[in-house]
Order: sequence, then C-alpha cells, then structure tokens
Amino acid sequence: MARASTTTDVFNAVGDAHRRAILDVLLTGEKSVGAIVGQVSMPQPHVSRHLRVLSEVGLVERRTEGRHRFYRLAPDQLRPLHDWVAKYERAINDRLDRIEDYLTELQRQGEDSDT
Amino acid sequence: MTPDRHGSAIITFPNELEVVITREFDAPIALVFDVLTKPEHVSRWGATPPDRMTECSIDLRVGGTYHSSFVTGDGTVFSFHGTYLEVEPPVRTVETWHFNCWPDVEAVETMELQERDGVTTFTWSLTFNDQAGRDHMTGFDGQQESLDEMENILRTLLTARD
Repeated sequence: MARASTTTDVFNAVGDAHRRAILDVLLTGEKSVGAIVGQVSMPQPHVSRHLRVLSEVGLVERRTEGRHRFYRLAPDQLRPLHDWVAKYERAINDRLDRIEDYLTELQRQGEDSDT
Repeated sequence: MTPDRHGSAIITFPNELEVVITREFDAPIALVFDVLTKPEHVSRWGATPPDRMTECSIDLRVGGTYHSSFVTGDGTVFSFHGTYLEVEPPVRTVETWHFNCWPDVEAVETMELQERDGVTTFTWSLTFNDQAGRDHMTGFDGQQESLDEMENILRTLLTARD
C-alpha cells in the first residue's frame, strides 16, 4: 500500500512509539530538548530527529532562546486523528445508547402495567 | 424524568491487548443483565440501522455458545460467535469472541455489572491474544498501525485544550 512519508502524514508520525513517548512528555507543557532527553530513554540525537519529524507535520512547535531550543505541543494537527477516534467512539456509543433507550422503554412499560 | 446518558461511554486502551468500555445505565442490575444476555432483548438493540440482525442465539451457561448475524444495507453479512467460559448472573459473563471479518483474531470478552444507588455500571472488555488482534480495533482505513496509547494522549490533549 502506498504510504505518505512520516514527514507529511500525521498518522504515520504518531505511529512510532518513541515519538508518542515524546508527545507524552510534552503533555505537561513546554520542555527543552535536554529535559525531554531526561524523561525518555533515548539518546539526544534520536530525540532531536523525532522532534524534527513531529515539527515537520506540525504536531510540535519550536522556540529558540539563546542556545536552547524549547518544544511544545501544537494540537491543531491532531484534528484528523481526533476525527478518527471520534468516529470509533460514536459507533460504540450508538450501540450503548440503543441499550439505554431500550432499557428506558422496558422500564416505562413496567410502570404502565403496574398502574 | 432522568435525562439520558447518550454519548457517555468511556473507552480506554489500558495496555497493548485490551479495550475496556464502561457505561452507566439508570436501571436495576437484573434488568440490564437480561437485556444484555437474552436473545429476545438483544435482537431489539443489537443492530445499528440500516443493518438488520438476522440471527441471535444465546445458550447462557458455561460451555454454551452464542451466535449473532447481521446484514448491512448493501447486503454484506457479518457475524460474531463464541463459547461461554463463566456465567454468573447478574454480575458477570466471560466468553470467547470471534468475528467473521477478522478470522485470525482471538479474543475473550468480559461483561461485568455493578449496581449502586439504582445506577448499573457496565464494564465491557475485549482482551486479544496478541497485539495484532487488538490493533484491528484501533486501525484506521484498514491500516494496521500500532497506536497503543495514542487515543489516550489525544483525549488528554484535546481536553486540556478545551
């Protein structure tokens, strides 16, 4: 199957466990590269390479202060992923909502026959 | 009248093999259990329109089997079947889970109910034999990506933002 490269496809960019680990670390806020390296068990060059991929698909934003680089999450690009998750969630919710409606109907019938 | 709880299911991926869904119902546990396990009830809510449920058999005892079949609006047939491993009315059933569209996937389904103050909590989990099986649930557009905890990350992100 033809696949977009990791640098253009947000789905592929998060398909990598290391990059998800980095996103996880950034959940708590902006971090320097050094701080990210400290929290994931990966050598700095690897972290930098993953950050570059995440930055190119727009999942993270970079800020430079003197000699230090800081990264933070840029959630707008997560929208296509969120849309997919929402679709999956909706299918499950539809099913459970039908059970609820049916339970409500049964209980209403029960009350009617009691009176 | 109690407002409905539509859309309130909580879906989690606690590890690489499991999908766990929890949902509350404003109904007594015995009724919820019957609605989930008796064919005359399941056949009333089982299909998502325009799909139709064409078969629903449930032999609710250890070693008994269940089988449900559906036909979609365009005529595609899909079905689920399995064998009960544990049956403890009205709190718990454990059964093997097979889906005809994923013939290589083996999973065990657990349905648990707990009632508190008139509200019954339904915990519904699927535990797959291997991660490839679980990833069928998290795959998108037929691609079998390993998404692991991505859904949780996403939800946290979007919630943090709202």
